[in-house]
Amino acid sequence: MNFLILLLGKSLSKLSKILNLGHGSTWPGHIALRLNPAFIDQVLKKSKTKVILVTGTNGKTTTAKLLQTIFEENSKKVFLNSSGANLLNGIASSIILGSNLKGNLSFDYAIFEVDENTLPQITETLEPDFIIALNLFRDQLDRYGEINTIARKWKNSYQKLHKTQFILNADDPQIAYLGNNLDSKVYYFGLNDKKFEYTTQQHAADSILCPKCGTKLTYEAFYFSHLGKWKCDNCKLGRPIPSLENFEYYPLLGTYAIYDTLAAVLTAQTLGINSGQITAALKTFKPAFGRQEIMEIDGKKVQLFLSKNPTSFNESLRTINESKAKNLLIVLNDRIPDGTDVSWIWDIDFETLIDKNTKLYLTGDRVYDLALRIKYSGIPISDEKIFEKLEEAILKGLTETNNDEVFYILPTYSAMLETRKILTGKKIL
Amino acid sequence: MKLIIGWLYPTLMNIYGDRGNIIALQKRCEWREIQTEVIKLDVGFTENELEKCDILLMGGAQDKQQEAVSKDLFKKAKALQAMIEKNIPGLYICGAYQFLGKYYKEANGNIINCLGIFDLYTENPGENAKRLIGNAVFENKKFGKVIGFENHGGRTHLGKNIALFGKVVKGFGNNGLDQTEGAIYKNSFGTYLHGPILPKNPILTDYLISKALEIKYNQQIILKKLNDNLEQRARLAIAKRLSVGI
Repeated sequence: MNFLILLLGKSLSKLSKILNLGHGSTWPGHIALRLNPAFIDQVLKKSKTKVILVTGTNGKTTTAKLLQTIFEENSKKVFLNSSGANLLNGIASSIILGSNLKGNLSFDYAIFEVDENTLPQITETLEPDFIIALNLFRDQLDRYGEINTIARKWKNSYQKLHKTQFILNADDPQIAYLGNNLDSKVYYFGLNDKKFEYTTQQHAADSILCPKCGTKLTYEAFYFSHLGKWKCDNCKLGRPIPSLENFEYYPLLGTYAIYDTLAAVLTAQTLGINSGQITAALKTFKPAFGRQEIMEIDGKKVQLFLSKNPTSFNESLRTINESKAKNLLIVLNDRIPDGTDVSWIWDIDFETLIDKNTKLYLTGDRVYDLALRIKYSGIPISDEKIFEKLEEAILKGLTETNNDEVFYILPTYSAMLETRKILTGKKIL
Repeated sequence: MKLIIGWLYPTLMNIYGDRGNIIALQKRCEWREIQTEVIKLDVGFTENELEKCDILLMGGAQDKQQEAVSKDLFKKAKALQAMIEKNIPGLYICGAYQFLGKYYKEANGNIINCLGIFDLYTENPGENAKRLIGNAVFENKKFGKVIGFENHGGRTHLGKNIALFGKVVKGFGNNGLDQTEGAIYKNSFGTYLHGPILPKNPILTDYLISKALEIKYNQQIILKKLNDNLEQRARLAIAKRLSVGI
C-alpha cells in the first residue's frame, strides 16, 4: 500500500514542479493520508529517524532552523516540513519526498513545525521522540481560539504520550505547567539574566493567571510579555528550575530569539551534542525566511522582522529600536494567515517603542487602521508616509535609506511573503 | 475640565485590543485640552474608586479570566448599577456586555447568573455552532454607520426593556438572526464590536466624552472639532471593501 502511495506522491510532486504549480508541498500528502490514514506513523515507525515536534505561538520556524543547523553541522541528516506547510498533509508530503519507495527514511532527525491547534491531532497519529513547546501567546483569536483552550488540549495530549521527551519553557506559566505529572522526561529552559529583565508588564501580556488555580500570578521579573520569573502565592505553583538558563553564543538579536536558541541548544545537548559543537554550528546559522533575514538590494541592507501578534511585534520593535533604526516600514495585512482581525495592533506599545528619529513608512491591506494606531500613539504621521501599494512603500523606503543604513521592514505573515517576492525580484516593481 | 475614565479590569478583560478605546478617549480629550485620568479598576477595587469615575469602559476576556472577574464584580454590582442608573456613560464590549445581562447559558445548559442590569440574556449554542466572526457594520440614527470587528460564540437576545444599539448592516450582530446589534440603556452602551470600536467611530467617542462632561459639570458641552481625515479614510477603506456606503 505505502509503496503505491509513495510512488504516486513522488510523481505528483514532480509533476507539480514541472507544471510550475508552486512547490506542490501539501497535496501529495493530502492524497497519501486519504489512501492510508496511518501513513505517517507507519513510515516513521519503520525508520530510525527521531521525530522532533516544535510548537508554540512564536519562534517555531526559527527554532527548527537552529536545530537543523546544529544537526547538519554535526554531520546528521535532517529533514523538515519547510515552506510553512505545518499541517498533517505537509508532514506526509515531507515524508514522501524524504523517503525511498520502500518507505525507508534515511534521516537521523525529522523536525516538524506544528501549529498550536494541530498538535493534538498529530500526537494522535504519531508518538514523537521530542516535543519542544516554546510559548503560548494570543495570536489570531479569529482562527486559533483562546489560549486557555489550547493549553487544555495540549495537556490532554501530552498525558497520553509515554516515551516522548519534553523541552519546555519554564518562564511561560502555561507551558511550564504542562510538564506537571507527566510520565516522560521533562527538561526546562528559561532565562536568568538581569540584562533582559523588566519590572513592568507589557500591554500585550495575557497569561497572568495561575494555570493551576486561576489566581493572579506574581512576578519577580518579566523578560517579555508574560514570560518571566513567576509564582503563584495561592497554590504555590512556581517556575520550575531550568536545566539551561544561558548559552555562550546567540546567533540572533532579541530576547525572543534567545529563548528559541535556548530551546534548540537544550534539545541538542539532550541528544548528546556538546556546547563546543553547538556553538561552532550556530556560528554558521542563517536566519529563516523573513525572520531577521538580511537581504542586499542595490548595495543597501534590508532586514525583515516577521511579526505576527502583539508580542512578536513588541519584541521586533524593541530589537529594531535598539539598533537605532533610521528607516522602518510596517506592513499590516489582514488575510487568513495574518488573522482577519487587526484589533491587536492596539496592544502594541508603539508609544514607547518607536524612536522619534526613525522615519516611519506604512502600508498593507489595513494601512489606514495602522496609520490611525500610529496617530493615536502620538507619533506624527504625514500622508506621504502612508502607502496603499506595497511596491511604492518599499521603493520610497529604499530610496530614502542611505548606503550605510539598514532599511527595516516589519511585516505580518502574508505581507512578509509579498515583500520577499518584491525584494527578490520575483514580482516586478 | 477633567474626565476621569474608569477602566474595569484592564489586566483581565483586555483581550481584543480594547485598550484602544481608552487611548481614543484620552487622545481626543488631550487634543482639546481636556485633562484625563485613567483609574484602573482591577480585581479588588473599591466602590469609592468606582464612584469617582465619569465614564466607564470594560472589555472582553477569555473564559478563565471572565470567571475571576465575575467573582469580584458581583461584590460591587450594586455600586455599578447605581452609576448606570445615574446616567454615567459607559461602553461595555463583548464579555462585559453579556455580563450586564441576566444570564449566560453555557453550551452544556449550565446557567451563569449575570448582573441583570440590562434586560437581555445570552446563550452559547455549543462548540459545533460557528463563532460569529468578521468585519461588521451597524447603523445607529445618532452615530451613523458604526464599524468594527466581531468575534463571539454567544448569542444575545434583547428583552422588552432595552433598546438596540443599532441595526446590522454587515455581519451578525447580537445573534445572527434578528439584525439587532448591541444594546443601549440610559447612557450605557453594550456591543459585540471590537476593532477597537472607538478610534474608528469618532462620533461615538465624542458623544461619550461630551455626555460624561455634561453630567459631571451639569452644563451643555460643545466639543472643539478635530481633524478626522485619517479616521474617515480608515472608515472608508473598510466600508468600500464591505460594499457599504457611509
